[in-house]
Amino acid sequence: MGTRISDYTFDDRLDRLRETKVRHAQRKVELLGPRDGDEQGNVALPLDQAIIVDAISGSGVPVKDMLLKGYEPETNHPSGGFFGAGIVGRNYRKLLEVHPTYIDPDSSMAGVYMVSFNSYRKPDWNPDYDYSHLHEDQERLGIDAGIGGLQHFCPDLKIGLDLGWGGLLDKVRKYREVNADTEFYDGLEDIILGMQDWIRRHGEEAARLAEGETDRDIKENLLAISEICLAQVSDPPGTFREACQWLTFFQAAAKMYNGSGEWGQLDELLRPFYDSDMEAGILAENEAIFHIACLLLSETAYIQLGGPDRDGNDLTSPVSYHVLEAIHRLKTPANIGVRVGPNVDPGLLRRGVEILLEDRMGFPKFIGDETVIEGWMRNGYSIEDARTRVYSGCHWLAIPGREYALMDIIKIDFAKLFDTTFWEMIEGEERSVDTLWERYRENLERAVRVTAEGIDIHFDRMYKVFPELFLDFFCHGPLEKGLDASNSGVEFYHIGVDGASLANVADSFAAIRQRVEEEKRLDWDELADHLRKDWSGAEGERVRLMMKNIQRFGSGGSDADGWAAMITDEFTRIVKEKPTTGGYQMVPGLFSWAKVIPFGKRLGATPDGRRAGEPLSHGPNPSPGFNGGKGGSPTQMVTAVAAVQPGYGNTAPLQIDIDPSLGDSEESIGKVEALIRSHFKMGGTMVNINVLNREMLEEANRNPEDHPDLIVRVTGFSAYFASLSPELRQYVVDRVINGDLDDDWTCI
Amino acid sequence: MTTGLVFDIKHFAVHDGPGIRTTVFVKGCPLRCMWCHNPESLTSEPQLMFTPSRCIGCGYCFKVCEQGAHITVNGAHEVDWNKCVACGKCAAECYSGALELAGKETSVDEVMEEVLKDKVFFENSKGGMTISGGEPLSQPEFTTEVFKKAKENGIHTSLDTSGYAAWSVIEKVIEYVDLVLYDLKQMDSGRHKEYTGVPNELIIENLKKIDKKGIPIWVRIPTIPGLNDGEDNFRKIGELLSGLKHLERVDILRYHKMAEAKYEHTGQDYRLKGMDTPEKDEVEHLKDILKGYGVFNVIIS
Repeated sequence: MGTRISDYTFDDRLDRLRETKVRHAQRKVELLGPRDGDEQGNVALPLDQAIIVDAISGSGVPVKDMLLKGYEPETNHPSGGFFGAGIVGRNYRKLLEVHPTYIDPDSSMAGVYMVSFNSYRKPDWNPDYDYSHLHEDQERLGIDAGIGGLQHFCPDLKIGLDLGWGGLLDKVRKYREVNADTEFYDGLEDIILGMQDWIRRHGEEAARLAEGETDRDIKENLLAISEICLAQVSDPPGTFREACQWLTFFQAAAKMYNGSGEWGQLDELLRPFYDSDMEAGILAENEAIFHIACLLLSETAYIQLGGPDRDGNDLTSPVSYHVLEAIHRLKTPANIGVRVGPNVDPGLLRRGVEILLEDRMGFPKFIGDETVIEGWMRNGYSIEDARTRVYSGCHWLAIPGREYALMDIIKIDFAKLFDTTFWEMIEGEERSVDTLWERYRENLERAVRVTAEGIDIHFDRMYKVFPELFLDFFCHGPLEKGLDASNSGVEFYHIGVDGASLANVADSFAAIRQRVEEEKRLDWDELADHLRKDWSGAEGERVRLMMKNIQRFGSGGSDADGWAAMITDEFTRIVKEKPTTGGYQMVPGLFSWAKVIPFGKRLGATPDGRRAGEPLSHGPNPSPGFNGGKGGSPTQMVTAVAAVQPGYGNTAPLQIDIDPSLGDSEESIGKVEALIRSHFKMGGTMVNINVLNREMLEEANRNPEDHPDLIVRVTGFSAYFASLSPELRQYVVDRVINGDLDDDWTCI
Repeated sequence: MTTGLVFDIKHFAVHDGPGIRTTVFVKGCPLRCMWCHNPESLTSEPQLMFTPSRCIGCGYCFKVCEQGAHITVNGAHEVDWNKCVACGKCAAECYSGALELAGKETSVDEVMEEVLKDKVFFENSKGGMTISGGEPLSQPEFTTEVFKKAKENGIHTSLDTSGYAAWSVIEKVIEYVDLVLYDLKQMDSGRHKEYTGVPNELIIENLKKIDKKGIPIWVRIPTIPGLNDGEDNFRKIGELLSGLKHLERVDILRYHKMAEAKYEHTGQDYRLKGMDTPEKDEVEHLKDILKGYGVFNVIIS
């Protein structure tokens, strides 16, 4: 640490920080295996402090996990688990108290997490709260129920930036006097004490490092870190740099607690600090950008830039542009959403598209301002509240601190549901597309009811299993009422229910109608036989291509397009029809996340020509090659996805992959802007764009280790390509290759 | 009902005029340019295309072909192009896409239905529709009718043409055209005939006449090493262009060989085998020559 670094400009430091980040990502892959999710800010533990154990990744792939030597949580249950606010808080405090500190002398921010508290939650659900009666239906109908789901709502970090940890502690102590539930407050208080200890140790460690440092600039940075950390044990941040540091600690500990990763409207959170520092003349723009870059480097938390306040005033500020500039200089994975609409500064879209085309990292993404507001109002919200919903997760928005919604957790796999329905019908007497659709609707209805039952179970039990303590601090209500966010602590409860694999089902219905019923090229038994045999045998491949190469969803005006709209409408109607028995409203969206892989693996061949085990279609997106087997154009994709929007403020995001030959000229930027604006005008809610060169991607897939810094947008998140599982890498490659027939534009 | 022989409708065409465009490709061309990128566009009848890499060997084409045009040579499926009458029976049975029939009689309404799907994009990008080919002027009634319908729908129209047609034909079509994309190749008429099959006098004359009509023009110069990339040729082009009042832009289109496979797939000879794409800086000086004639908005693609 005492070695002299010759150059200590912001640019040099960022270069080194980027290299360090890539090295950390590589080390995590070596030690823990691939990770099909965000490139999180965690750094692997030093080997002498690590225990490596087997685990399963978010997309269902076996991986390794890392535990901290010498830390053992208490248990309060024969299963070996720990359940309830008191013990959860106590265990988390202990973890924070033994968790290593992390200071990189190049960065102006201290603190990363190295283990996940979730890794210690074994089992993660209290087995006394049995819901096995739902398992059969959940499995049969393709439901990811979300029981036990964590975070996936947006904290209001202004609360923390105003109060600091000391102020939060006072608030906890104040309300524990008012309310009776001491266990809840015990848990909260322990977490704050753990945080204060961890932050203090960073301050002490930075001072120790500074003492041994000979380079004047580095020493100065370390002393500044030390001073800031020691003050932040209790005090709220006062300057721009302090605010960034406060958010860094918040984010690392929130992620470590339960995977939470939301900053929300970051530009507006930082703006007051920026304004006052600039006015006081103690901050330069370049320095502000550097601090933001160090903050972004610490975690790929979800951020919205621009967009309205309660009264409809655009929140775009110089800080919004500085965030874009920071990631442009940094070039590491990030999750930044730019709000787009007639009421948002158009310069932000322009700068966003420039960076997208120039840097080719798959971000920023774009959010349709008007459609998400108007949609949310359909759930009965005022326009003022609807405006405050900000982008804060893969494909979702939430009102910071006031809404708990289990976003992006509950999935109904339309394809699994179709498969179940198809085979039920084949075994019965009556076989027709009409019958299949009738039964599909019935099963969809059943699936939504079973999902609703799961939601009620979650709310009945979750706060007794693993409460949201860490995010409770930054919500309006939980501390005041003594109730966890998952237990009526906040104001709004509208639960996200997403449909997945729409295109597979729409295309299957259309292929059967065309080939079996209209053209009579094969009968139901022959089709069933081919599906059972996974299209093997002499005729298998020909029949597969016959089913596959119809005009599919995406081609525009086809029967399959009609099915996609009908399935979406029916799903939306059923989800919105009535609340759960417990009274929770549900909100429909269409999104699969990385689950296209595990959902596909468990499923046999489908009538749209998909082979058994192949990935399913992504969210609301058409399958590649939808023009009768030929690749589609971006305009077709934009139109198709806009036509299948549930329309209640939760998104059905458009994902397009385009070839870099488009370039980044003024003209090209204008065309991409036009695509984005057109999508929102047609009713679309969110746009994700990858700029990927086919040859480079194929090469990186063959030799991922040679391309450690290649960043791709996989779905709602973007990540280092080399950190993904081979399955997910192949999925991205196939999506790009199979969509292509066009010399200029590759698109699915 | 007017119909045209259309072989493709491309959405999100980004090189056929301003903004986001939808391009309708029609079949049939009086020229035979050695470098033509769309060899399936040349004849005025439907045409079979065979892409062997997509063939799964199911053998259905052999069964349905009444001409015996599908044959096996050294164990591989081939098409005997002398026997093929482009009836399309094999393509109808080919689900892998290995056999396709290029060219389909398409009504004006069918074309417009496809084009109108993109109207929002045209509005947001100041784009529109383009008719390309083949040579759109080889189907003048259809082309005129489509453009007329497009104008009725408030859509910007571009004609992508070689200019090789009677002025009486052009005059009618351009009544509904907002922008002409005009190909210029070789100013020496003899060489022009050698490379394209026709002399260039009519083409040059028509370009001047279109300009006189006051319609905006983008000139496009496919630049083929050794055939028309000489400085002398570009000086003559510059001279011609300097006299135009409504020239908005010039595109130097560098030769590329991506179409080579399509020649094989349609059973045609490719006369430029082995030629490489010139680097951007190799044609930069041609841009400078044009500048010398006051032609400033030159884009190399």
